[in-house]
Amino acid sequence: MGAHIERLWWALGLAALALSGALAAGRPAVTEAFVTNQSADTLSIVELASLKVVQTIEIGGKPAGIAMSHDGKLAFVTAPEGKELIVVDAAARRVARRIKVGRGPLGVAAHPTNGQVYVADWYAHKIFVVDSKTGTIGAQVEVGKSPSGVAVTPDGRLVLSADRDSNEVSFIDAATNRRVGGTMVGERPFGITIDAEGKRAYTANVGSNDVSVLDIASGKVVATVPVGRRPYAVALAGGRAFVTNQYASSVSVIDLASLKVVATVDVAEYPEGIAADPDGAYVYVACWFDNMLQRIDVAKMAVTGAADVGDGPRAFGLFLR
Amino acid sequence: MVRALAFGLALLALFPVAASAHGPTRQKVTETVEINAPPEKVWEVIGNFQDMSWHPAVAKVEGEGGNAVDATRVLTLGSGGTIAEKLLKYDPDKKSYKYEITDVDVRVLPVNNYSSTLSVKGEGGTSVVEWRGAFYRGFMNNDPPPELSDEAARTAVTGVYRAGLDALKAKIEAGG
Repeated sequence: MGAHIERLWWALGLAALALSGALAAGRPAVTEAFVTNQSADTLSIVELASLKVVQTIEIGGKPAGIAMSHDGKLAFVTAPEGKELIVVDAAARRVARRIKVGRGPLGVAAHPTNGQVYVADWYAHKIFVVDSKTGTIGAQVEVGKSPSGVAVTPDGRLVLSADRDSNEVSFIDAATNRRVGGTMVGERPFGITIDAEGKRAYTANVGSNDVSVLDIASGKVVATVPVGRRPYAVALAGGRAFVTNQYASSVSVIDLASLKVVATVDVAEYPEGIAADPDGAYVYVACWFDNMLQRIDVAKMAVTGAADVGDGPRAFGLFLR
Repeated sequence: MVRALAFGLALLALFPVAASAHGPTRQKVTETVEINAPPEKVWEVIGNFQDMSWHPAVAKVEGEGGNAVDATRVLTLGSGGTIAEKLLKYDPDKKSYKYEITDVDVRVLPVNNYSSTLSVKGEGGTSVVEWRGAFYRGFMNNDPPPELSDEAARTAVTGVYRAGLDALKAKIEAGG
């Protein structure tokens, strides 16, 4: 009996330890950044611990958009000029498949479970639904004009696209691949990011220099937050949104409770793609003009490191794994 | 003028999205020049947003707002074309300013969505002036004609920067 209780306590202790570890770590840690270098026609794989490029992969076609499969095994790269979706085996660090898609593929996002990849086509004004296992294009969903950013809710039910030249966010039902609604946002929405709870979406509006905050359930804009000039994309970490401002060479930091800008961090020139470490410690920013991936420490609100990458990094999408 | 207008209207009719869309590949150009003069002296020449008299292609500048953010200027070129620009950032401590083109005919400069930074760094009697630009080509859809291609845009911007920087060096080193 005594031994039994002892074992029980030991098991409970282990469970508590595991739980606290899981809470501290949040989601699984990421170790690498996959940065699309548009001018260089390459993909830089950056080891986050050392901030060094560990591999450069030839892509071609002026790569811009990037997404990762949920398990981190595949990276999906769009090449707008090559009109291709390129599937990269992330562990082997090589191109696994090239798929012709549309006329100007740009934003890309991966579904959490069903293996589908959503590609926003700038010129065709559609979202192409590509099966990552077979490399075939299934549905083509008509959205607004020049869709750029695309994102999937964590439960996999909805796909949202930022339709830049319609000033609108389209809602697509992932089960039927039909557009089920739209919400007008600020001018020229480009990047779109959904929070981990699937409650809100954030668009960076290049034309009106602000961020639209959408409540996904109601489809309503709940706030519009002014940021710096030419905002491009949004990352979420530590209860804050981090917004790259291309012309201001800065990152605006929005407190998600008050929906006010609480800080502005100066970064290198022409910041574009931005993504957060899932545990919220760091945010990584691709600086297009300076060929750099900078690391922002979320607690310190300061740049604490940088990796030199290829020419013209855009990293438009979720580029960490 | 009528021909220019007709050309513009024809382009618009053919490509209705050209005015607002944003092609997929942005270009960049960086040009520098080393000048045998202290950076303070170089900044005195280039640091006024309303004065481009150091650039040989610019015949006249008319503007409003001085060196305040959102100040505007219209450059009239010796060749007759005009370029309208707006000041985005002005940092006299870093001896740097950033501006964008708000209006230009692609036949004057074959670019879209152009922004640029002019800065001077250095110490003692030597300066390095850097002029950087980010822009899209003149033709905003797929398959551009050669005169509105990426290469044409880069060549044109490089030419503007080179002419300006080389003239600036000559002017300052001659004691101007």
